[in-house]
Amino acid sequence: MSDSTPHGSRVPAEGPAVGQDEWVARHAERRLMRGGVLGSVEERLRRVPWWAWLVLFVAAFSLLPVFEGSGYVRRVAFDTVLYMLLALGLNVVVGWGGLLDLGYVAFYGIGAYAYALLDSDKFGVHLPSLVAVPLIVVIGAVAGLLLGLPSRRLSGDYLAIVTLFFLQLFQTITTNGDSMFGHNVTGGPNGILNVDPFHLFGHDLAVQHGGVFAVSYLYVALGFFVVVFVALRFVNHSRTGRAWRSLREDPLAAEAMGMPVNWLKLMSFSFGAAVAAFTGTIYAALAASVFPLTFYFVLLITVYTMVILGGSGSQAGVVAGALIVSPLLEMLRDGSKSRVIFFVILVAALALAALRSRTLAIVALATIAFGFVVHAVCGAIDSSWIAGEHGGGFAGFTDHWVVAPEHLARWIAPVSYIGVICATLLVTVARGRLRLVLLVPTIYLAAFVWENVMLAKPEPTRFIVLGLILIALMILRPNGLLGERRVEII
Amino acid sequence: MALLELRGVSLAFGGLQVVHELDLHVDEGEIVSVIGPNGAGKTTLFNLITGIYRPHAGDILLDGRSIVGLQPHEISRRGISRTFQTLRLFLNMSVKENVMAAAYGHTKAGVFRSMLRTPGMRREERAIEELASQRLAFFGKRLMGYRWDQPAYSLSYANRRRLEIARATATNPRLLLLDEPAAGMNPAETHEITELIGELRAEGGYTILVIEHDMHVVEGISDRVVALDHGVKIAEGSFERVATDEKVVEAYLGLNTMSQK
Amino acid sequence: MDQFIQLTVDALTLGSVYALIALGYTLVYGVLKLLNFAHGDVFMVGSFIGFGVLQVLGGTSDPVVPVWLLIVLITGAAMAGCAGLGVVIERFAYRPLRDAPRIAPLISALGVSFFLSNSMQLLFGATPRNYNTFDLSNGALYLKGLDIGNVRVPLLRIVTILSAFALMVALWFLVNRTRTGKAMRATSYDREAAAMMGIDIDRVIVFTFVLGSALAGAAGVMFALRVPTNVSIGFIAGLKGFTAAVIGGIGSIPGAMAGGLILGFAEAYSQGYISTKWSDLIVFSILIGFMIFRPQGLLGRADIRKV
Repeated sequence: MSDSTPHGSRVPAEGPAVGQDEWVARHAERRLMRGGVLGSVEERLRRVPWWAWLVLFVAAFSLLPVFEGSGYVRRVAFDTVLYMLLALGLNVVVGWGGLLDLGYVAFYGIGAYAYALLDSDKFGVHLPSLVAVPLIVVIGAVAGLLLGLPSRRLSGDYLAIVTLFFLQLFQTITTNGDSMFGHNVTGGPNGILNVDPFHLFGHDLAVQHGGVFAVSYLYVALGFFVVVFVALRFVNHSRTGRAWRSLREDPLAAEAMGMPVNWLKLMSFSFGAAVAAFTGTIYAALAASVFPLTFYFVLLITVYTMVILGGSGSQAGVVAGALIVSPLLEMLRDGSKSRVIFFVILVAALALAALRSRTLAIVALATIAFGFVVHAVCGAIDSSWIAGEHGGGFAGFTDHWVVAPEHLARWIAPVSYIGVICATLLVTVARGRLRLVLLVPTIYLAAFVWENVMLAKPEPTRFIVLGLILIALMILRPNGLLGERRVEII
Repeated sequence: MALLELRGVSLAFGGLQVVHELDLHVDEGEIVSVIGPNGAGKTTLFNLITGIYRPHAGDILLDGRSIVGLQPHEISRRGISRTFQTLRLFLNMSVKENVMAAAYGHTKAGVFRSMLRTPGMRREERAIEELASQRLAFFGKRLMGYRWDQPAYSLSYANRRRLEIARATATNPRLLLLDEPAAGMNPAETHEITELIGELRAEGGYTILVIEHDMHVVEGISDRVVALDHGVKIAEGSFERVATDEKVVEAYLGLNTMSQK
Repeated sequence: MDQFIQLTVDALTLGSVYALIALGYTLVYGVLKLLNFAHGDVFMVGSFIGFGVLQVLGGTSDPVVPVWLLIVLITGAAMAGCAGLGVVIERFAYRPLRDAPRIAPLISALGVSFFLSNSMQLLFGATPRNYNTFDLSNGALYLKGLDIGNVRVPLLRIVTILSAFALMVALWFLVNRTRTGKAMRATSYDREAAAMMGIDIDRVIVFTFVLGSALAGAAGVMFALRVPTNVSIGFIAGLKGFTAAVIGGIGSIPGAMAGGLILGFAEAYSQGYISTKWSDLIVFSILIGFMIFRPQGLLGRADIRKV
């Protein structure tokens, strides 16, 4: 394996030895040959410059309002852009700096609240937007520095706690800030209202036109997004980015090679905070109000899921993560849409499984058959057992598959829910035939639970899905969709 | 004046005295080897010099200025670089990137200039790439060409050791600390390393302090040898003198060995 | 003076609950170097299990068993249920990540925490559940008690504090005077070496989770006996629990107990003497102070690593 030569001589000048080196060198070629048509397509896509992708992406997003007139959809698009921004910021801290910052959304809140304080009737201050926004970016960066400085010598776990406490601290201060030494500073649980909209080039950017979300804010948000994406990308492709990568690999060696590890971590922390604060301003301007509960644990986990799903360390990845999770969360608010999502995913998964192997195809067919049988049997026993509400439309075919009773006895929900959890866990431990056999009723039970238990309450269901995604990701694919596949050699 | 000087350096971990009143000096342009049985405190010595540990007593001077209490990255910028006994490469980064990363300490494009990609920043990036190419070229064909873009984890063991040395030189140091550079190498590779160390001084102008166990290497490279045992210097001088010193033989082979000859 | 006595009793009760939660954190951290963010939610589940069993046994207005047995049963059920939950969580969310970088199980723990609290909300809704302890034997638990000065310390409080201490002492014995305890301590020092010495690491870790989660379950019942419980208490309880663990020195059992009590006192006194709103702030500031100036806490060991 080593490229050694007989004792006393040096490597011949003609080049690397045949065998090992050649094999390694032909890696790219092999990838191409392996993929066939797909491979050459992948290769061509690989050569498209990053900025072309960015332009395409932004163009597509910009054209959305042309095709979609609904204010609601446009608003969701706007929220998604905000999530993309937040994800980009968190990516700097977690993905590039390697720091578990559990207080990240507090900086988002700081940005939003700062804007609300500087541009509303609260204190009668109305700073022009072009002054307020950059100022708040600086405030965010400074806040990041302030939190990061005393924490810089803390290891991962401890840093996580301290930042989590910072989040709690922010929550406490904003919630109780309506009586700070006799002054109403943060508006308490009622927040701050009547926040100014953005004021650009002499015009107030109205947040609504006749009660409908103003598209201009979508474009402002996209503008923010482009600026942040490009700026961060340039920083990552500089000596700072190299230093960040080095410190992720081996902080001790990085320090020994002249890289100031603590300062670099601080930088990433501060950058993340600045991006979050930046995003906070546009949020506050559009929402025209800020409340404490917006900037709390739920939002934190949401952004983390986006970053981890997309692949921490990859900007394109975390943007993709936001693009997937944000609309998903939104769609899960609505019972009928959630039903559609579930069954689409189920059908797709069964189809893919069927294509991959004969045994899985049998399992897929068995599940479908099983469902029809159970449904028929239940219907025969008591017609009210299947008389419940169904979604209709696309999910109409499920009318004859999933059992949906008219009245659900109270004990059914917890029992079936816990049942499906136990069944899933059993499936993971079981091996071979047993596993396949168990899979069938488990999938069916999952559909039952989804239909009858989870859709009834969309709020917790959305977040249960998030929690499950996080756990599954860490176990199955910690590098997410586009994150770097890291090799750790002990 | 010596380039590096340790005066009365002591370090203890709890009750264990790891280094005890150590005096050591390395003159500019010298190659000095540090030998001693395992646990003698050799790597600890390197950790002390590079600022990972702080001595409880004594002083460490580089060019006459004390470096005790400085952060490791500051010491690196003052001109001391090192390799590690257990290899600490940036495994998931490419070969070239590993070396380019080490140029951080003597480059200065800040985050804002990087964000804007100023011409100055781009010039500096090109210079860093050029530097990395040069440092890698030092090893002949071994780390050249297509190898530059390969991740460090795909290199063979010997190449990884070479890469670590290349990386260390990219900080533009004056003093190079090599911690067992020949560990785990077969005779051919060992011979190559021995020649390489000589070339590092001759062509690169580095002053070198080496920890080594392989006496062939020590003999082949050293101007001077220092022997440690249990954190104390037990012998110093030319290779012949130290190799035959009573105390050194005793440290390696146990008591009464000399008398059995 | 009366207020002082009252607050001290509050402090002791609160502190015992925090100490029990903190013990769970410290045990798991000691053995796995993992901060189990889901622990607070296990505590919450414990309080709900207690409530469920309470209803099954007739509720506080008409219990089918004597009062003392009732409380023992619901506590026992909560401890058993939470122990089981802890085992399941360890087996499926943490064990696959045993050799992954440290950030992985932490994030998985966040996911589990989120999953637990929202699952409970899905199944049982957001309305608080009140044990209605006052109804038990016509308020005997509250009306009977010890008189210190002008203050009557209710029987319930006394029982709570004493049982918490009893559990802690039992735990201390278990960890320091039994073979299993020794195995736990060995694993916490050096997992690989312990494995090589013939210790079944998986068993030890499972056992640790059983202990920690059971204590959380007991704490859940003790908490709910005084104050109505709901599905959202897990987060804050978790935060305070590991504040206590960290103040006392994470990895140290007496430290967790001390930390819990200190936290209880800090919270009770600041709520009583300063203000209820800002007591949280004060408590957290204490924590941050510790983290910065003395990260190993009062009784923890400082980490020494060989380069």
